[in-house]
Amino acid sequence: MIAAGIDGGSRAIKIVLLECATCKEVAAGVRDQGVDHDGIARDLFEELLKSAGLTRRKVARAVATGYTRNAITFADTTVTEITCHAVGVRHEVPDAATVVEIGGQDSKLLRLNSDGSVRDFAMNDRCAAGTGRFLEVVAARLGTGLEGLGDLARAATSPAPISSMCVVFAETEIIGLLASGAKAEDIVAGVQASVASRVAAMVGREAAPPVIFTGGVALIPGMVDALASALKTPVRIAPRPQMTGALGAAMMACRQTCPTRGKRAT
Amino acid sequence: MSAAPKRLTMAELDRLCRRRQAAGAPMPAYAGPLERHVEEGDRRLLKLQYDDSAAALRLWSFLLTEEERLHAARAAGRKIVGTMKDLGTVPVMAYALPNVVAFYPDGAWWTPCVMELSEGLFGVAQSLGLGDAFCPVRAMAGAFVNRAHFPIPDLLTCSVGATCDDFSAVAQRLESLGFPILWWEMPSRRLPDPGEPAVTLPGGFRAPESQVALVRSELDRIRAALAELAGAPLGDDELAAGIREANRVRGLLGDLRRLAYTADPCPMPALEMLIAEMLAIHFCSDRAESVAVLAELLAEVRRRIDKGRGVLPEGAARLFWVNPVADLRVMNLLDDCGARLCGTEFLFCHALDAIPEDLPPMEALARMALADPMVGPAADRAARVVRDARAFGAEAVVVSRIPGASHCALEGAVIGRMVREAIGLPVVELEVPPMADPMWPTLKTRLEALVETVIERRKR
Repeated sequence: MIAAGIDGGSRAIKIVLLECATCKEVAAGVRDQGVDHDGIARDLFEELLKSAGLTRRKVARAVATGYTRNAITFADTTVTEITCHAVGVRHEVPDAATVVEIGGQDSKLLRLNSDGSVRDFAMNDRCAAGTGRFLEVVAARLGTGLEGLGDLARAATSPAPISSMCVVFAETEIIGLLASGAKAEDIVAGVQASVASRVAAMVGREAAPPVIFTGGVALIPGMVDALASALKTPVRIAPRPQMTGALGAAMMACRQTCPTRGKRAT
Repeated sequence: MSAAPKRLTMAELDRLCRRRQAAGAPMPAYAGPLERHVEEGDRRLLKLQYDDSAAALRLWSFLLTEEERLHAARAAGRKIVGTMKDLGTVPVMAYALPNVVAFYPDGAWWTPCVMELSEGLFGVAQSLGLGDAFCPVRAMAGAFVNRAHFPIPDLLTCSVGATCDDFSAVAQRLESLGFPILWWEMPSRRLPDPGEPAVTLPGGFRAPESQVALVRSELDRIRAALAELAGAPLGDDELAAGIREANRVRGLLGDLRRLAYTADPCPMPALEMLIAEMLAIHFCSDRAESVAVLAELLAEVRRRIDKGRGVLPEGAARLFWVNPVADLRVMNLLDDCGARLCGTEFLFCHALDAIPEDLPPMEALARMALADPMVGPAADRAARVVRDARAFGAEAVVVSRIPGASHCALEGAVIGRMVREAIGLPVVELEVPPMADPMWPTLKTRLEALVETVIERRKR
């Protein structure tokens, strides 16, 4: 039987299908988010089932997570992305002690117990300044794609200080920096440092190693370095950072199907 | 009640209320269907979930008719005292006089939420220079200016010093608008120096005798002003009687908290408990009736516990809640997410602890004021949270910040750190503005995740 994890994020929907008995992945996919959260997720789900030669009847349980989790009508239940990211990361990185997840809409810090369960967590507040949305805004303003931010940041010689606490004001600040002759690469480096510093503020005094970076923003070149610098500790990117939530949701579905399964990492 | 208790929408509650009225169930004159308050503008009531007991309906009716009581008091020639940052003292003194009513003008801070901003109190406050950077108590300034809520008090008192900075700023702006305030100074509680004469305060903190003497002298000025306002002396005997009555309210609330926060299944929803605790601060402008309201609520809780009935599922995650929420719906959300209240520190501890009855009354009130966790270091407040969370058997702590409130901004991190270090509980901070609708998904996620974390901890 199959366990499905659906991560309905603010920017993308991710789905992972696992074989319940072995926790082996049989299919995974990502699709951009849109207006019809349920429809997009359903299309992707059906596509993945088809690609794996499966039918819906083979799916023992589906768990939805993420911002749009409650809109996924074909899921059997929902679990928050806090729990799912913890489970997903520990499945792939069994010694993970701290998880930083930066998604399109929010960022999270998870502190894990030695058995992988969540000891404590924090989320950023109402502002997008510590999220992927900030990077999107900057990329658009600088006329580059998200994938180009890393190359730009690497070329920085003097990262520009971004002091605004709000994305809207930060964009204004960036316009001012550009007008005053600041280089795009220095602005990008400054923005990445700004996002990382907001996450570091959530972490507090110390981040127990190993620190694992996950979420879609981990795919943006340069962010892991900015985060490591802000946290003053080495940071590793999860093997497939964008899929961690969906993987965790699928693992939760496995556990709910058979409680003795899906605990490989604990 | 024969059926299991449950939470109802306002429409369901009102239907139930009418059936009770038709059946001749005894009900105070002010109690009845809540829809009339919606017609008067309290639209948020339509979106809340209510406990279905007659006791809870009485509680809500009592709360929602406070302004009517104040206007009736004014019409009857009674003197009205607006008491701000009183730290559990001024209402006790005011109600010791027969013709004086005290209330909290800052209670207006909930008005923008309950009226879904329609009254525009924040807009008025903004026009007075009190914008979003200030605590929602700025709504109070709007209520003074538009005069659409409470009657303008005959006397306004406010402590200043170790109490909230932002509140002090709002109150000073109020005074500049022509509403004179009798200020009294509240020193920041400190530990006694070695060898310095000191006393133990209610709740266990220690403070130098000199600080108690200062507070006592400040409260003596309030006492004199109250007596002058009332045209009657406020003697120690009257004060002692007032303290006994205040302790009666506090005792009822203490029993209610102890039972409601420890029984499983949970016998009373979080929202009603918040309202009950609020009521005890200033007696909702009728001390005798507040005793009756709390007594009925306590009896209902006892009845439910005796029958093993709860309003929430058994085994709900036990959360200790720090700071009141500006949007009442969040208390419903807590229940909806599979949690229940298991202790609170809503910043009004000064209305919970018993005032010493074995001391001269002014000495007792001074010690009470100085005992408030708010007027000492954040670590003191955190220590009380740790103590109470442990005593109530909490499984997690929620620190709910109020946007613009200086205490919330500064103390959340300290409380979180001490709770984690002392009792190892997960702590989540969240910010609840007066209209939390835009933040609903993230608030829900945090509370659900906290419940998941608690449930997972139980398995370990």
